Amino acid sequence: MDGIGEESSPRNPLALPWDRFSAWLHAICVVGFDLELGQTVEALYPPHANLTDKEKTSICYLSFPDSNSGCLGDTQFCFRFRQSTGRRASLHCANDLTDRESPVYLKKDPACFYGYVYFRQVRDKTLKRGYFQKSLVLISKLPYINFFHTVLKQLAPEYFERSEPCLEAACSDIDRWPSPVPGKTLTLPIMGVVIKVRIPTRYDKPGTTQMVELSQQVNEVERFQSEAQISVTLPTIHEVDLFRCFSPVLFHIQMVWELVLLGEPLVVMAPSPSQSSETVLALVGCISPLKYCSDFRPYFTIHDTEFKEYTTRTQAPPSVIFGVTNPFFAKTLQHWPHIIRIGDVKLAGDVPKQVKVKKLKNLKTLDSKPGVYSSYKPYLNRDEEIIKQLQKGVQQRRPTEAQNAILRRHFLELTQSFIIPLERYVAGLMPLLKSVCAWKSPPQLKPFSQEEFMKSLERAGPQLTSALKGDWIGLYRHFLRSPNFDGWFRMRRKEMMQKLEALHLEALCNEDLLMWVQKHTEVEAVDLVLKLKNKLAQAQREELPVKAETLEKLRNHVCAIIDELPEDLQGILLKTAHS
Amino acid sequence: MALRELKVCLLGDTGVGKSSIVWRFVEDSFDPNINPTIGASFMTKTVPHQNELHKFLIWDTAGQERFRALAPMYYRGSTAAIIVYDITKEETFLTLKNWVKELRQHGPPNIVVAIAGNKCDLNDVREVLEKDAKDYADSINAVFVETSAKNAININELFIEISKRIPSANAGATSGKGFKLRRQSSEVERRCC
Repeated sequence: MDGIGEESSPRNPLALPWDRFSAWLHAICVVGFDLELGQTVEALYPPHANLTDKEKTSICYLSFPDSNSGCLGDTQFCFRFRQSTGRRASLHCANDLTDRESPVYLKKDPACFYGYVYFRQVRDKTLKRGYFQKSLVLISKLPYINFFHTVLKQLAPEYFERSEPCLEAACSDIDRWPSPVPGKTLTLPIMGVVIKVRIPTRYDKPGTTQMVELSQQVNEVERFQSEAQISVTLPTIHEVDLFRCFSPVLFHIQMVWELVLLGEPLVVMAPSPSQSSETVLALVGCISPLKYCSDFRPYFTIHDTEFKEYTTRTQAPPSVIFGVTNPFFAKTLQHWPHIIRIGDVKLAGDVPKQVKVKKLKNLKTLDSKPGVYSSYKPYLNRDEEIIKQLQKGVQQRRPTEAQNAILRRHFLELTQSFIIPLERYVAGLMPLLKSVCAWKSPPQLKPFSQEEFMKSLERAGPQLTSALKGDWIGLYRHFLRSPNFDGWFRMRRKEMMQKLEALHLEALCNEDLLMWVQKHTEVEAVDLVLKLKNKLAQAQREELPVKAETLEKLRNHVCAIIDELPEDLQGILLKTAHS
Repeated sequence: MALRELKVCLLGDTGVGKSSIVWRFVEDSFDPNINPTIGASFMTKTVPHQNELHKFLIWDTAGQERFRALAPMYYRGSTAAIIVYDITKEETFLTLKNWVKELRQHGPPNIVVAIAGNKCDLNDVREVLEKDAKDYADSINAVFVETSAKNAININELFIEISKRIPSANAGATSGKGFKLRRQSSEVERRCC
C-alpha cells in the first residue's frame, strides 16, 4: 500500500508530463483584471493547454462576479460553458474506460467544460484600481464539484500568498495523481495536504454513504489529523448541501423537484455567484439518480455566448436551468415561466416562514422579494411530513449535515418511486429470451407505448412505494414529453439493444457452426465468416456485455470455418481479419 | 494495532540527496540521475513501532531556491522534519542551520527534528566533521545520523530514531500538551463522517 500515492503505478514509462494531470483537469488559469483590457488570462497551466480565444473569453467573464455583487474577501463558485464548435471531441471522453464505469450523472460532458473558481477581492491601496482582484480557475470535464472546491480551498490561498511556484508545484502534484477510477478510494496529495476520496461507480446503491470502509478507529485518528492539516477525507466527491441551498424555498421543494424533473425552463436569481451556482447544482442534483439531460449553467452572465439564444423573446424559453446575479436579468427574463429568487444569506437558526408562490408579474425590479415566482401548479400534493421534520430540525439546531441527509433521502425516495414503474415497464419491452435465435438477426425491442405504460400504473404504480397523493398520471404524461425522459429512454434502449446483441452472440457461439458450413455452399460460408467478424468487431467497439470466453470461442469458430475453405479463400479471409 | 498517520517533511539545500533518501527508504532503490524535485513529491511508508503502526506521509520538498517560499505548506502539521545536508559541502550545513531557525520560529511546536548528513560514502572529500554536526544536533536536541542513500547506510535507522521520539498516541492524549500540532482548521476539513 505504500509508495507514491496509493493506487498509482509509480514509474509508468509511458506517461508523459501532463498525461496524468489531464485525466483530472484540462487547465488551470489565473484570471486578473487589467485596467485597459478588463479581465485577462494572466497565466495558464499547462502552457500549451488547448483553449480557443472564444473559450478564454468565456472563462474571463465567468471567473469574476458581476460588478454589482460586491463579494469582498474570498468567494468560491462554479460555472459551466459550451466548448467551441469544431474542437475535436477529446479522446478522453469518447474512449474512456474510467468514464464508462461512472454513474450517469458523473460522466464527463463531451460538449461542456466546468470552471471551478476561487475569487479574491481585497482592498489594496498600492494598486491603481484600489483593489486586488484575481481568480484561480480549474477547468475540467469532471463534475466533481465538492472535490475541486476542496482542492481550490487548499491551493488558492497559498497561491495568492506565495505566487507562481505554487502553481508549478500543484501541477506537479496533480500530474502524479492516479486516474479517477470508479470504485477506488484515492489518496491525492496536494500542497502539503492529502485528500482522500472515493470515486463512485455506476454499481453503487444510490444514497449509500461513500467512505464506508473507514473504521471508527481510523476516523478518530483522522479527526485528529485534519486538525493538524495533514489530511482531508471527503464524504462525497460531487454532492452539494441540498438543505442549505433549498432552505430559502423549503416550502416549495415539491414543486421545484417537479420543475427539474420535467425539464422546465428555470432561472435562479441570487445575490452572489456562489449562491447562484450552488443552487443550480442542487437543483440539477435533486433528481439523482436520474440524469438531468438539458443544459444548465450554475453561473450565467450577459457575456455568455448563448445569452441571445437563451433570452430571446421570439421563441419559447428553452429547457435549461441557469443561475444569474446581474439585476439586468430580472428585466430580460421577465417572460420566463419559473423564477427562483434567493435573498441574502439568512442567519443560522432562522426558521423559514410559510410563503405563497408569487405571481410572475410581481417580479420586475431588482428588489423583488425572495421566493418562487411561477404559475405552475404541482401535480403532486406537498409532503407536509418532510417540511415539518426539517423545520423541527432547524428549531432543534440539528447539524446541517443531518438536515442535508434527510432532504437528500426524501428526494431520492421520491425520484425512485417515480422512476421504478418506468424501469419495470421498459424492462418488459425486452423480447423473450427464446426468441433470440442464432440464424436470425437479433429480435427488435417492443415499442414504447404510452397507453400501455399508463395501464401498467394501475397495478404497479408509484403508490406501491410512495404515500404521496396527487395527479401522478398527469406528471408521467408531462414527463414523457420532456428531455429528461428522452435522455433516460435512449440510454435504456441502447443498453437493452446491446444486451440483445450480446445474447445473439452467445446463441451463435453455442451452435455447431462447422456442421452448418458443411451443409451449406461456399458462398454462404464466406458470408457467415464476414458476418461473424463484423459481430466480433462490434462487440469490441461497443464493449457489449459478453464474457471474454464467449468471444474467444467465437473467434475459434471463425478460424475453424476458414480452415475448412479452399486455400485461396483462406488467404483473403484471414487478411480481412485485421482490417 | 493502531495506525497513526504522521506527516514528515524533508528540508535542505538542492542536491544534498533528500529524494534519494526517500527512494531508498520507500522503494529500497537508488538512481544517481534523479531529476530535481518540483514543489514537493509525496510518498508513504508504514513501519511498526512498539504496539503501533506508523504510517509516514513523506513530503520531500524541492531544494531549489525558487520553491523556498512553499516550505511552510510542508512543515505545517508535520510531526517530524528531516533536515538533510551533504557532508562534502560545508555551505549545505549552513543552510541546515537556517532551516532549524525557521522551524523554531514558524514550525509546529514540539516538532521532532532529525539531521541527516548524507553522502557519508564520500568520506575522502568530507567538509563537515561528524563531531561538529553531532555537537550541533545535541545542542538543539535533534536526532543525528550520517547516511548514504547510495549505499543504504543508516536510512532505516533514521526513521526508527524518529519513531522513538514520537510520543505514543495515548501519552499524547493524556498529557494534552505533549503533542499538539493544532492550528485553526477550516470548515471542510472538520467534516469527518
